[in-house]
Amino acid sequence: MKKWICLLLFLVLWLVAGFSVFYEDDSALLGMVDASASKRIISTAPNLTEILYSLGLGERIVAVTTDSKFPAEAADKAKIGSFWQMNIEAIIAAKPDLVITLDFPQQKDIAGRLGRMGYRTLTVNIEKVDDFFAAVEEIGAATGASVEAEGLCGQLRGKLGGLSKQISGKERTSVLWVVQREPLRVAGLDTFVNELIELAGGVNAIGKTAHQYPPIGAEQVIARKPDVIIEPAMGWGDMTKQREAAMDFWKRFSNVPAVVNDRIYVIEGDTVSQLGPRIYDGVESIGRCLHPELF
Amino acid sequence: MEKLLTKRKLVVRIGFALILLILVMLACSMIGTEAVSPKSVIASVGEGQVNADYEIFVRVRLPRIILAVIVGAALACSGVVFQGLLRNPLADPYILGISSGAGLGVIVAMLLGLAAPIWGQSPVTVFAFVGAIGTVMLVWFIGRLTGRRHVAGLLLAGVVVNAFFSALIMFLTSVGRSDQVFATIFWLMGNMREESVLVLWTSGGVVSAGIVGLFFLGSKLNAISFGERDAKTMGVKTGQVQFAAFSIAALITGVAVSLSGLVGFVGLIVPHAVRLVFGPDHRQLIPLSAIYAGIFMVAADTLARIIVAPAQLPVGVVTALVGGPFFLFLLVKYSRKVGW
Repeated sequence: MKKWICLLLFLVLWLVAGFSVFYEDDSALLGMVDASASKRIISTAPNLTEILYSLGLGERIVAVTTDSKFPAEAADKAKIGSFWQMNIEAIIAAKPDLVITLDFPQQKDIAGRLGRMGYRTLTVNIEKVDDFFAAVEEIGAATGASVEAEGLCGQLRGKLGGLSKQISGKERTSVLWVVQREPLRVAGLDTFVNELIELAGGVNAIGKTAHQYPPIGAEQVIARKPDVIIEPAMGWGDMTKQREAAMDFWKRFSNVPAVVNDRIYVIEGDTVSQLGPRIYDGVESIGRCLHPELF
Repeated sequence: MEKLLTKRKLVVRIGFALILLILVMLACSMIGTEAVSPKSVIASVGEGQVNADYEIFVRVRLPRIILAVIVGAALACSGVVFQGLLRNPLADPYILGISSGAGLGVIVAMLLGLAAPIWGQSPVTVFAFVGAIGTVMLVWFIGRLTGRRHVAGLLLAGVVVNAFFSALIMFLTSVGRSDQVFATIFWLMGNMREESVLVLWTSGGVVSAGIVGLFFLGSKLNAISFGERDAKTMGVKTGQVQFAAFSIAALITGVAVSLSGLVGFVGLIVPHAVRLVFGPDHRQLIPLSAIYAGIFMVAADTLARIIVAPAQLPVGVVTALVGGPFFLFLLVKYSRKVGW
């Protein structure tokens, strides 16, 4: 019994000693640096990299994640791991004075860990189209590029506004946006994809669902009668092959208007699977499927 | 016939393992995606100004290596205990539902989008710990209800709770947002990261104390592993010992899991490997498993850090990929020599 009491006593003392010596208040560590001073920026997501380039900050980027492939110059930057699995050693080695991350659990986690070490981080939420514009302005403000940010937002809003004028009065085409074929999963209403569809003059064929990207059955496909089926291409593989596979899969739904009228499209995935400065190109590529006569 | 374990033999074996552990830790601290020169790390200390080398070495790599040792030691020791108490060679630290309980805690924390630290810890860590400990208590309680055939009842309760919680995890995964789901899946694979000195200090203290406590129980665990009835005739209060050993094992597993996620295989294979090589005496099995699991984890995590550079692998992937074949090799080589 005695040795157990000694052990317990020792543990308690150990813990007390630890807390009294090593406990530190995290909030004291976060010092702010002058906004325009950031000269060594790290971007942890492909769309953040694109935003930085569009703001003319490409020169100041010191490192990106391996999935940052646009613009082409981004590929030459040092790499700090992948979007999902970043290498914190590589981030520190790049000596950043600003690390910009997305509001995803793992990205926020990295930002928090870097923040505790005294690094300046900026976490932006880009879930919806409005978030994207807000994020551009936030990044502009944090990097001393507010004017450029305003310019970029204005230009994109202008283009999207022009498109919305063009499609106003047109009948809204119903779209089934397929993110995965087996098992079948589509984009629901509470997604930015849904916003892109609406900006392009369409309407989501799927109604309200509990999931963001609900798995659906063949019954719903038939019942919803989509005019158009769109599949964003996965990765950078051969588009013609993906198109053939899509046709082969969808021909079984011979009563669906999209199939009857041969309106199944496989489109470039890069501009429509993330919200970045190429948002207009994404919306336009959807518009081409919905209202081919306008383009 | 296995020779008896003498005190001297035990001390020599532990000492040798400890030296090996320190050597492996030193070697692995020199390996990484970023080259770090010890000179510049030391120079940084002298200048009183922190450079990148110092930051990488002292604030990222070293804490991560120490965490790997803590997690490995905790998992292996609790693996030893569960294998001995349940008298089941397939038992591992997760057999009584800790893994799914912790996983459930994590996905709940993710879906709630909790971000504010709780007691200075990330909510994910806290939820994982609470889930793990809560589940073990539930399983223990259900096991008690099954009455006399306590071990079998406990095992079955563990299996069923595990299955049920896994079903809940799957349900939540299917309705969750993709980023939350992805983060959970990566968590489930087991990851190492740098932790603050305070976290390493407290978790290291709790795990070490737990290991010492289990070591105290070593000879009684030996008796129990022959069978509960035999142990009772030898004067061992089996109920008490079982409860103490289970509690300690669950606690240190909970600590390990909350810090690193579900690192698989370590708690299963290291105890077996040590048993196959050195024999089944728990007084030896517990300290040696702890140290060798530490060595194994440090090496596995070093691979995880560099193998797909510049990205990183979840360490659980490495432990499973390396551990499986290695264990099969040991099994074939030694199993004729030693029985279970």
